[in-house]
Amino acid sequence: MPVAVTLSSLQEIAASNQWAAIMPELLLAGLAVLVLGFELVVPKTYRALIPAIAISGLAIILLGVGIHFHTTFLNDDTFDHLLHHSDGGQFMRVFFLLTAILVCLLATVTLERQPVPKAEFYHLVIVITAALMLLAQSNHFVMFFVALETVTVGFYILVSYFRTSAASLEGGLKYLILSALSSAILLFGIVLLYGVAGNRALPGATADAMNFGALRGFLAANPDNFLANVGAVLVLAGVAFKIGAVPFQFWIPDVYQGAPTPVTAFLAVGSKAAGFAVLLILALDVFRPLQAVLVPVLSVMAVATILFGNLAALTQNNVKRLMGLSGVSHAGYLLVGVIAAYREPLAVGAVYFYLLAYLLASFAVFAVMAHVSGSDDADQDLEHYANLARERPFLGTVLAIGLGSLAGIPPLAGFMGKLLIFIFAFKAGLYGLLTAAVVGVVISIYYYFGWIRAAFFPFRRATGLAASEPPRPVITRVGFPVAAAMVLLAAGSVILGFYQGPLGVWLVSR
Amino acid sequence: MIFSLSSSIFHFPLALAVTSLPAEVGINHYLLLSALLFAIGFFGVLLRRNTLVVYLCLELMLSASTLAAVAFSRFNGTMDGNIFVFFIITVAAAEVAVGLAIIVALFRLRHTVQLEELTALKH
Repeated sequence: MPVAVTLSSLQEIAASNQWAAIMPELLLAGLAVLVLGFELVVPKTYRALIPAIAISGLAIILLGVGIHFHTTFLNDDTFDHLLHHSDGGQFMRVFFLLTAILVCLLATVTLERQPVPKAEFYHLVIVITAALMLLAQSNHFVMFFVALETVTVGFYILVSYFRTSAASLEGGLKYLILSALSSAILLFGIVLLYGVAGNRALPGATADAMNFGALRGFLAANPDNFLANVGAVLVLAGVAFKIGAVPFQFWIPDVYQGAPTPVTAFLAVGSKAAGFAVLLILALDVFRPLQAVLVPVLSVMAVATILFGNLAALTQNNVKRLMGLSGVSHAGYLLVGVIAAYREPLAVGAVYFYLLAYLLASFAVFAVMAHVSGSDDADQDLEHYANLARERPFLGTVLAIGLGSLAGIPPLAGFMGKLLIFIFAFKAGLYGLLTAAVVGVVISIYYYFGWIRAAFFPFRRATGLAASEPPRPVITRVGFPVAAAMVLLAAGSVILGFYQGPLGVWLVSR
Repeated sequence: MIFSLSSSIFHFPLALAVTSLPAEVGINHYLLLSALLFAIGFFGVLLRRNTLVVYLCLELMLSASTLAAVAFSRFNGTMDGNIFVFFIITVAAAEVAVGLAIIVALFRLRHTVQLEELTALKH
């Protein structure tokens, strides 16, 4: 923007804003206010309606986005190039709305057991969802940073939401410090890129250096500029923190364990997917001219992430930590897909498919975890699952399908996701990465099946120890809406494995 | 530059020290200062053990970015950097509000703000 912007030209820009382009996000903001207002105004006896309002509101908005999937704004910029609307952005919108609905459903199970306020939780989930949707469509670093920080600050509160639990607060503090650290690193990267790209002494300098398109043009003219490379690496380090890639994975086990189970699920699926949506925009589009530096960095990161995640998950006894560390390895497989997309553009579709399969499988497992865990949400051990399948066949089946899909057992959806990514990695000639990924999958089968075995067989103690069963929390009864969601998640995992249909065609042939 | 300046103050007459100052403060000086602030903040976060000091160091890192943004904005002749600073300050304020709330809640529960004493999540 030139310095001599007059008031009237600002007014012109403001009048040209097409608010209809962000209707879903505006509706989410309205819904968030409605949830809070409802709690203030309506008598206590009706407060049980709050989750229902939040979930049905989200479902209606999801339906609206689904109907208007091919909006008139597709492949267009709005808000003076702050936002860019694309197929991928629309997919992520649907993805995040789906995530939010499932998180709210899990919250109805978990929050019941805790002495905490309810309405604010749903409010925050809705606000974060809106920010995630804007983040996946951002086309300008100011928009990007503000959306990212809205997500992050919201998550600080959600992670430490059980404020009477030391584990939750400590998890929150750890997330706060490490996430703020990564945000500061990312911010410094943005400022460096802005400073270099606007330097008029360099060829291709741009007056609009925070705009993704203009920045890409500058980087194409100066692919070897040292400061620009440093800036890009710093920005990607901030994104790598969100997806939990090595060496930025150290926060994951503690924060996942301390956070309430629905929030753990939100972090594992929503936050990670947002990281990948952003990574696809930044690494593949904006920073593409720098791929000589970025591809080796991302490749080393992918191998380290896959191996570390799987090896660290082997020794875990707490299922939340196990989900966190196995989630690290899933980030590694997804990174392989992103790297493959440099040579095989269709691999982007494989990444989206993998994310969808990961969502279905993860939420199936987290839903079971929400029912098995007791009043101490941080204490969820493998022993608590002993004999689950015999006592609760429904929970046991859903757990087995979810874990099987995560492990990549054919014919479940997780298998198809991995297969697609591996095919594209093979086509792109990434044999080293492919080897690491296959080794990772083999290791992961061990601990996923350890969990399934724990659920399908009685807990065995070493002889000589006391024969008594370990104390374990009472399993919550499965209510109707959650049970329906679990059936849908499990069925989705099975069906997507056999039949991808128009969705698969759309994803992998764009 | 900073070190040579301070040593010259101690060993030479003040007039001499003043003449050794750069004629004009340019973009590089701002960037050097910004990088130093960022490094102090970064290592402070990694090395200090008191939560509040760690939090101060995080804010220092954000300030370093702010300083660099303003310096670049002036150097490049575009206003984006200055505008961005308002967003950074707003975000930092939100972060402090939530962060201090978490620290206070944790202090009420555990009666400590030392990081090495927060061990509920060691498995």
